[in-house]
Amino acid sequence: MSDKERIELLQGTLDMLILRTLQWGPQHGHGIGLAIRNSSDDVLQVEHGSLYPALQRLRAQGLVDAEWKITENKQRARYYRLTTKGKKMLAAEESRWNRMVAAIARVMRPV
Amino acid sequence: MPLWSWLFRRKQEERDLEDELRFHLESETQLRLDRGETPESARQKARQEFGNLTFVQEEARSMWGWGFVERIGQDLRFAARTLRKNPGFAAVAVLVLALGIGATTAIFSVVDSVLLKPLRFAQPDKLVMVWERRFDSNHNNVVQTQNYLDWRARNRSFEAIAAMIGMPANLAGSGDPIQVPGLRVSARFFQILGVSPILGRGFRPDEDRLDAPCVAVMSHGLWQRRFGGHEDVIGQRIDLSGGPKPSPCELVGVMPAGFSFPGLPADLYLALRIDPGTAPGDGRNYRTVARLRPGVSLAQAQQEMSAIAIGTAQERPRMNSGWSAQVVPLLEQTVGDTRTILLVLLGAVAFVLLIACANVANLMLMRASSRRREMTLRVALGAGRRRLLQQMIVESLLVSIAGGLLGFLMALWGVPAILRFLPSGFPLPRMQEIAVDRSVLGFTLLISIGCGLVFGIFPALQVNRVRMTGDLSQGGRGGSAANRGLRNLLVIAEVAVAVLLVVGAGLMLRSFLLLNQVSTGISPERIITFRMMLATPLDDHFRENRAARISQMLDRIRALPQVANAAATQFLPFSGSQAGSDYNRTDRPAPAPGSGTGGDVSVVSDDYFRTMGIPVLAGREFESRDRRGAPPVAVINQAAARMLYPTENPIGHRLKVFWDGDPAVEIVGVVADTHHDGLEYPAQPCLFLAQAQSPTSFVSLVVRTRDDAASAVAAVRQQMQQVAPNQGIEKVESMESVIASSVARPRLEVTLMAIFGALALTLACVGIYAVISYSVQQRTRELGIRLALGAAPASILRMILREGMLLAVSGIAAGLLASLALTRYLATLLYTVKPSDPAVYVTVTLILAMAAIAGCCAPAFRATRVDPAITLREE
Repeated sequence: MSDKERIELLQGTLDMLILRTLQWGPQHGHGIGLAIRNSSDDVLQVEHGSLYPALQRLRAQGLVDAEWKITENKQRARYYRLTTKGKKMLAAEESRWNRMVAAIARVMRPV
Repeated sequence: MPLWSWLFRRKQEERDLEDELRFHLESETQLRLDRGETPESARQKARQEFGNLTFVQEEARSMWGWGFVERIGQDLRFAARTLRKNPGFAAVAVLVLALGIGATTAIFSVVDSVLLKPLRFAQPDKLVMVWERRFDSNHNNVVQTQNYLDWRARNRSFEAIAAMIGMPANLAGSGDPIQVPGLRVSARFFQILGVSPILGRGFRPDEDRLDAPCVAVMSHGLWQRRFGGHEDVIGQRIDLSGGPKPSPCELVGVMPAGFSFPGLPADLYLALRIDPGTAPGDGRNYRTVARLRPGVSLAQAQQEMSAIAIGTAQERPRMNSGWSAQVVPLLEQTVGDTRTILLVLLGAVAFVLLIACANVANLMLMRASSRRREMTLRVALGAGRRRLLQQMIVESLLVSIAGGLLGFLMALWGVPAILRFLPSGFPLPRMQEIAVDRSVLGFTLLISIGCGLVFGIFPALQVNRVRMTGDLSQGGRGGSAANRGLRNLLVIAEVAVAVLLVVGAGLMLRSFLLLNQVSTGISPERIITFRMMLATPLDDHFRENRAARISQMLDRIRALPQVANAAATQFLPFSGSQAGSDYNRTDRPAPAPGSGTGGDVSVVSDDYFRTMGIPVLAGREFESRDRRGAPPVAVINQAAARMLYPTENPIGHRLKVFWDGDPAVEIVGVVADTHHDGLEYPAQPCLFLAQAQSPTSFVSLVVRTRDDAASAVAAVRQQMQQVAPNQGIEKVESMESVIASSVARPRLEVTLMAIFGALALTLACVGIYAVISYSVQQRTRELGIRLALGAAPASILRMILREGMLLAVSGIAAGLLASLALTRYLATLLYTVKPSDPAVYVTVTLILAMAAIAGCCAPAFRATRVDPAITLREE
């Protein structure tokens, strides 16, 4: 995979992706990063470091909770979990996103 | 949240974040190892994918929302360290700012105390003064007695209204007789102002009746000086008569320290007794103060008073035709025309501060260029732009607040020192209230922060230009050109503002010099003046007695060997007081009420004009034969002659004077014009009456001595005591000093403007010097090469000078344009000088150009002495 095929994330999109990933259950930072890379077939380029300020931001906004747990490999890791507020926000963000994608699609590929 | 638990949580979060990031890197490395990468490459890749670790930590921390305070603390410590490392820069910056902020603080403390602070009375915004005013004039006149009584009886706007008249009080009895400034007031005066005595009581409501016994309230100052501050003075009797028949007056109260009615300082307050029987025949004498009823606006009060004035004009047209009433808020009345000059001075000093800021901004910019490498390095190590910006601003604020505090200390010490240096009668309202206090400190801190932001913003903007590539590899040299344009612009602005200030100062100086060249019309050399009120009760109608006393004093004084001439006048020229009246030609039909001719009236003794050195142009001056019983005579000045007899010889004509029994006087002489109200006011028409025929109770003796004036004072005093043993003297002053006091305020104004102009000039000069020095230093290598290649030192000198002069000329041009636009605000302060006076503009241009050359010279000469060998080896 060459760098050219990777796309840098739009400002603000990272938060949505993190919330989306946490929909499947609590996950630690590294796991969230892997999940975003994997589910986008490595197209979306997330600088790993940028996840952590984003996670702290979401935590400060009350959209996610954090808790230290032991992983399958017996290591301590901080797991993040969606809060109710986070779920609502995710729903709102998704519908906004869908409208935007549809609108952009109409502009780019008019029928 | 208590501090310790805050600190604890802060530490915990810090550890959590570190653990979390370590876990991430370990997991990523493991993942790559599982894929079969070498351990070394796995670790390296994991770090690479992660990005800037420090930056991530910083960013994550900032999301906790506590970082702000902490970062400010760090920045402050860092800024203090940086400044300590560069004490020269710090000292210059702080000192320049302290000068600017100190001067601004000092002027602001005056503006604050005089213009902004409420007067020290209860609910002062409800206090007004009510004046009479002619329809065709904007001069507020004192009030006629019957009009005051009518206003008091008819108005519904005021809770109360009081009349007052300043009148020196003669204190005899214990110790030498003295005369202190006094104020006669209606009984409700203290109540209207809402100030009670600290000792004893004020006046009872009926104590201004004609038959009430005499009571007096004194100032705190007089109580301390004359009565030693003893509490048992209450109930004591003092003798105010000065005559052979003592008329005792009971002391009933002492006012608090600092109490005085604006513009009427007094040591002794007596009840003003108005006789309703004689009131309609009085002249205009009284000032009034009133308190608005709750809910009554100024406009409503004005409306009512105008209506009342229409009524009094219809009832007594001879006195009141053409007159109305004018209600003026007490604060506005107090501040008067000082507002303009204070605002001009505040504006001037603010410009000085701006120049100081521009200077410091320039210093900061130069330092920023040499710190470019540091900045680039910090960006490379993960510092965010915002963080660097914040760091720069904190540094500027540290400098500006240090400068501000130092400036405040300068003002705290300087303002009282300057005030002490001013004469006690200096014509600045509320002068004793001026204080550098807490509200001034607040102002200082505010402008300090403002300054810090103003000059901090320029270097901070440069942060945005930091680029990783280049700056580190260039060895930190390349950045100098980047902010050169900005620096030059700042210097041009400095010069422009300096030009503006120096033009302002120049205009005021020229105006002041012209004013001082105005001929007073008198020759004041060796004249001593003795100001007093003849010590007799106000209701003394023994006029002959008064006239005799003055002529006895004059006879004795004239007999002294030290004395050349002596005379008396009611009000001294330039003392701020003058009487006036209507006077009309008797050979013309009597004019309709309110439409007659008139002007100043001076009551003077025989030999007055010779004593004062006023030329008699026609006829004669008063002589001893012009006494009571002899035909009433008058002398007029040229202005009055022009007004009354434009084509005829006035001698022998008769005038009907609305004064003291309405005599018809015969004109016996014409004298040259003199300035009475001040040098800036043209001479008014003036009618002189003979003291012996219309004696007054206010008298100033003018004594011209033969040689040493000072030694004659005691002898003159002694002769006066011989005639009237209990007569105190209000003030002994040389005529020269009386004239000088009348221009004391313009002198101080022009001095302050000159100081600000000089400060601006110096700062602008330093600015040019700094910028050119820096430019030379930056171009050392280039200059070295030029010299090595054979450039003549003279051509280098020219090159550097040209660079400096280009800045100076641009600044001067901009400054002259700004001056043309702004100096019109000075117009009301200038005497005969136009705000666009070309002489001032040309002079200022030359001064500024010379100052700029001086600023450039040192660095330019330094440039010619660059040693090519050394400079080239240095690289």
